[in-house]
Amino acid sequence: MATWPATSEGHAPLSTLDPAGEEGRAVLAHILAEALGAPVVLREVVALSGGASSATWRLDAEVGGSGGASEARCFIFQRSANALGLSRRVQAEVMRRAGALGVPVPPVLAVPDPEARLGDSVVTGFVEGEALAPKWLRDPAYAAARSALAADCGAALAKLHAAPLAHWADLPLGGGSGAELLETMFATYRRIGLDVPAFDLAFAWLRARMPTDPPRCLVHGDFRAGNFLVNPSGLAAVLDWELPHLSVPEEDLGWLCVQAWRFGQPLPVGGFAGREALVESYRAAGGKVDSGSLWTWEVFGNLKWGMSCLQLADDHVSGRVPSVERAAIGRRVSEVAADLVHAIARGTL
Amino acid sequence: MSHPSAVQLLEAVRLFLKEAEAALPPRLGFHARVAGNVLGIVSRELEADPDRAEAEALAAFGGAAAVCAGLRDGSLSPADPPLLAALTEAAVARLAVDNPRYPTLARLKAQS
Repeated sequence: MATWPATSEGHAPLSTLDPAGEEGRAVLAHILAEALGAPVVLREVVALSGGASSATWRLDAEVGGSGGASEARCFIFQRSANALGLSRRVQAEVMRRAGALGVPVPPVLAVPDPEARLGDSVVTGFVEGEALAPKWLRDPAYAAARSALAADCGAALAKLHAAPLAHWADLPLGGGSGAELLETMFATYRRIGLDVPAFDLAFAWLRARMPTDPPRCLVHGDFRAGNFLVNPSGLAAVLDWELPHLSVPEEDLGWLCVQAWRFGQPLPVGGFAGREALVESYRAAGGKVDSGSLWTWEVFGNLKWGMSCLQLADDHVSGRVPSVERAAIGRRVSEVAADLVHAIARGTL
Repeated sequence: MSHPSAVQLLEAVRLFLKEAEAALPPRLGFHARVAGNVLGIVSRELEADPDRAEAEALAAFGGAAAVCAGLRDGSLSPADPPLLAALTEAAVARLAVDNPRYPTLARLKAQS
């Protein structure tokens, strides 16, 4: 059985090729041709986004067919910006298996070898769809998609969660019980060393409630608006498989209800559905959920988002990643603090 | 008295950033917008002093650090109504500076 490196093997930045440069394009064209078993001419490499943890390019290519005809096709090239998370090889393997379980994911075409000098990266098929949540949450053209999304998300999660732990046993994935995940988060909070009264309120409230039962399944770990590709009829693909780990289904379901992923819309599930609709569709697709712990996991999710804000701001304050964006996100802690106090004092959010 | 005031200077820079935003490439333009929002926070903070407001809201419990310590060692309960009322007041004071348009702010104020 193959062994999987737990994290990216850090490549020296100097030796990593620019995918839009001459040599990078030649290597990518070669990788695509091998993956597709057809001649490939790379027309254009377009930078789409450069996030903190990864950067994305669209590859516009001509793929040769039989009889000399060629077809214009797009692909996606994604590269990790640091060696902190799961390696792309492991992420790609999780995506492949999730796809085989029936979760809509972009098809994985290739994970470039270190010799390709493209960094810790992956090449996938291009899926048509809108990624910008504020767009598909508000645009009338996506009204049908919004009403289909609760069912689509419930079904995607039920299929992912249905696989037994043995399905993932050969992959180096972390995880733990809810109580353990909470303690890991608390350790991070104390390492940063700030005092946020609402966060301590949430930690104290959650400590009495987080389930202690061991993991039952693989969770996506960041299943939410912003990581979906949505087309006019519903969920086209689930993206960003950077944080999968072993946990319980309620973690993914609760995370989908976190205030930040509603983008200002009133409906609690990602801004597009009610909680009951999500649970019903999850159960209709064969998923088993302990609805009694869902609210606890939703509060946990809000605290987790608040901790992300704290960590991103700390990147700026500590000088690791000086950035106005990261500095500003630190003040979003006040939004999460208000949400946590509201959730715990009033029992709703 | 300084003229223009610090708040008025910030407002001038905010207007400049808004103007620059349209002329910048998308990523820099986005950062210009974020920078403008940051100046809004600084401007409100100069007028409102949320640190003092939080300290006053939590004074009955010994201040923010004491509340955190009490919740960590269990001497304060997360179900204590006076504590929840004080934390609500503190959260409102900070959010009014950091993002006055955030919907939870109105909900917390309406019910407190």
